[in-house]
Amino acid sequence: MNGPIRHLAAVIFAAFAVLVGAVTFLQVIQGPEYRDDPRNIRVVTGRAGKERGTIITADGVPVARSSADPDDPQLFTRTYPEGAGYAHVVGYATLIFGATGIEASQSEALVSDRDATISGVLNAIVGGDIRPKGLRLTIVDDLQQAAIEALGTQTGAVVALDPDTGAVLAMVSSPSFDPATLQGRDAGPAGNTLEADPTEPLRNRAIDQTYPPGSTFKIVTAAAALEAGIAGGGTTFPDPVELDLPGSTATIRNYDEQVCGNGDTVTLTQALVSSCNTVFGDLGMQVGAERLVSMAEAFGFNREIPFDLTALVSAIPDADSFADDVAGVAQSAIGQRDVRATPLQMALVGAAIANEGEIMEPYLVQQIFDSEASIESETVPAVWRRAVSPATAAALTDLMEKAVSSGTGFRAQISGVSIAGKTGTAEVPDEAPDVWFVGFGPVSDDPEAARIVVAVVVEDGGPRGTDGTGGSVAAPIAKAVMEAFLGQ
Amino acid sequence: MTRSAEAALLVTAGVVAAFGTALVGFTRGVGLDAQVALTFLVFVGAFGSVHLALRRWAPSANPYVFPLAAFLTAIGLTEVYRLDPNLGSIQRWSLLIAGVVASGVIFLLRGDGVVILRRYRYLFLAAGVALLMLPLLPSTWALHGIEANGSRLWVGIDLPGSRSLSFQPGEIAKLCLAIFLASYLADYHLAMGTTRRRIGRLDVPPLRQFGPILLAAGAAFAVLVYQRDLGASLLLFALFVGAIYLATGKLAYIAFGGVLVFVGGLVSYQAFSHVQRRVAAWLDPFADFSDTGYQVAQGLFALGSGSLTGSGIGQGRPDLIPAAATDFIFAAVAEEMGLAGAIAVIAAFALLVAAGFGIALHTRDLFRKFLAACLTLVLAVQALLILAGVLRLFPITGITLPFMSYGGTSLVANMVLLALLARISHGARS
Repeated sequence: MNGPIRHLAAVIFAAFAVLVGAVTFLQVIQGPEYRDDPRNIRVVTGRAGKERGTIITADGVPVARSSADPDDPQLFTRTYPEGAGYAHVVGYATLIFGATGIEASQSEALVSDRDATISGVLNAIVGGDIRPKGLRLTIVDDLQQAAIEALGTQTGAVVALDPDTGAVLAMVSSPSFDPATLQGRDAGPAGNTLEADPTEPLRNRAIDQTYPPGSTFKIVTAAAALEAGIAGGGTTFPDPVELDLPGSTATIRNYDEQVCGNGDTVTLTQALVSSCNTVFGDLGMQVGAERLVSMAEAFGFNREIPFDLTALVSAIPDADSFADDVAGVAQSAIGQRDVRATPLQMALVGAAIANEGEIMEPYLVQQIFDSEASIESETVPAVWRRAVSPATAAALTDLMEKAVSSGTGFRAQISGVSIAGKTGTAEVPDEAPDVWFVGFGPVSDDPEAARIVVAVVVEDGGPRGTDGTGGSVAAPIAKAVMEAFLGQ
Repeated sequence: MTRSAEAALLVTAGVVAAFGTALVGFTRGVGLDAQVALTFLVFVGAFGSVHLALRRWAPSANPYVFPLAAFLTAIGLTEVYRLDPNLGSIQRWSLLIAGVVASGVIFLLRGDGVVILRRYRYLFLAAGVALLMLPLLPSTWALHGIEANGSRLWVGIDLPGSRSLSFQPGEIAKLCLAIFLASYLADYHLAMGTTRRRIGRLDVPPLRQFGPILLAAGAAFAVLVYQRDLGASLLLFALFVGAIYLATGKLAYIAFGGVLVFVGGLVSYQAFSHVQRRVAAWLDPFADFSDTGYQVAQGLFALGSGSLTGSGIGQGRPDLIPAAATDFIFAAVAEEMGLAGAIAVIAAFALLVAAGFGIALHTRDLFRKFLAACLTLVLAVQALLILAGVLRLFPITGITLPFMSYGGTSLVANMVLLALLARISHGARS
């Protein structure tokens, strides 16, 4: 009687084999199609539905938080109460478009350990806190809002730092976007629109875009000359209308195509105050490629900046590449040619001068706190690198003060407070110039006094277009941020 | 020796279940709690009592059937608990009851107990039919049928203090009818196997021998009509046709059964809108995504999202599938444990079925042989029907996946089924 049993068993085992084939087909071969089906709301609610930690500013303004769905305590919605103002710093966390900003770089702390991963289980066994951690940023909302307002609809970026610690007090990029549009059902089309937008609202121009630094780079050239003992504030230079460059038909002219001083000679101080291209081109050639490049690297060019977010490397070509190109050295000395810098890098240049020649590592995360709001870790400021000696820093501070009090940076003046700064109007072929201001204040003899460094870039001359300059467009923005800092 | 191996495997399954409960706890943010210990203790209690009963009254029984069931129960309970801790907690108590009942069955069938089952076959037939008809009792009675999701396959009993207890009599009926069939066929298989003539290559038995199978088809059709339960109807029909084939070895019965299923299927498709809806959802679940196709489509989304290794327990969204804890428990497991978990489940069922047929093959006594084969057949067909439904090889039939779906009656009935198989395997070896 065993024959029929065997036959029946064979048929049933064949059926089980068909099931294995079917489940393999549906899960692996056909699987991705089902997984990515727009009607499969797992795509939208999946990972983004997990609880993430709260992010607040230094002054306690919440900028990212998760709230539980009233119908499903397991499902969380991420909201960004400050919207576009913090979109680049805080970033977003989505399944479709990935994560950016602090949401990406700090995801280890922000993402809940309430899961079945080995580390989550071990953490829970040893009694660890399995709720996600919160972050307190170094950003001060008053300064951030001042920078947002001052930048307005102009395309550009603002970075403000505490030169004594490296804490980033404000970081704004414009145009921006509302990260809320990347959450929920319409995230796909909204994200595609943002990605295709030619104004690149998703780009954090403060760290993710380099610009020719223009005359703000004269701080670096002057520092190299001072450190090498080639020149001091009182050293005089010829004052031509046009600087001929050896081995080249190119020339260097001043911004207004005039002489810089009286047409005879001009001091280095006067040259920085009036931002003379001719003098700094000349000075650059005296300093030489070797010293210019190594000074730029001392300020952080060609180096990865240790930071909570990934910043582009600001660049100056190798000294070797200038071997047969003296003209290139002169052009690089005024921040043109192939010199490129991020706004963060130029803020660090200002911070080095403000902090007696030392650059602190910039940082955005002040504290990590647990779900009961007790502080789990706090960032300890660390020195990144020394750019120049304290004496050079003091001399440059003096020069930059004069550039604001009686030079191109006059629109950054704040009554009763001494501000140091340098403007920049970087020529871009066939386009309106990218305009800069890098400055800090208040300048005082009190080493304990709180200070702020601000770097501003506005693309294409801002509202003034081809007539835009660092002094007319960027300096007022920096002034607004510094006033907010002084008023707080 | 084999009993010690069984004990070790059962404890392992208990650890798997406890670990599953712990994982669910972590994902819910409650961490390690008493539930983990409770799960382990219930597993030890349920399967431990079965194990001790086997040691005492059936020491040479097959040592693999209960560990395989324990593994499937551990996976199923974890997923049910993950979908809804309240259901998981109820399922856990059901498991304890199932373990005690299965132990009781092993105790009752000690010695020559199995023979008694053969002797009272008409009692089991009557009980089986009565149980099948129970859900048709008027809703106002103390013992009454309950209609849920368009089918009437539940029975409620009103208890003092306005509480009530409900169960699915169909799950128990299948055991009664398997016992009846095995007993009936052990006595009459020779007559049914007699060949009068041939039609083509088929040996065709005397016409009156088709009586029982027509009876079965009629009963199955009645269940389909009055209770609108496609799954139980097909399961019963497959049991009758399969059992008759087992006893006679005549393919004619299967061919005739196939014709009946085809005709019955066509008639019921024409006559019943709920059958039409299920077939439509099977053929193209996305045609009417938001309504009839929603469940099947969500099941496919779950399978696709699970991929090879799954989302991890508590990391997926199997809660989006309607009836995830019952009909679609396999899709929920496949989403969170991936293809790896899905194939492990199918493999465990295949091994369980292999063990069942192995017991049937090695048993000399004809009644026990038929009984083991019939019970295995019921288990296999039930698993195949619902798995094929979830995997879109067949319309959704709405029956439980043995040992895994949420449902106390199903768990108790299938544990008793295994107790019978184990008891038969002891008899075969002694």
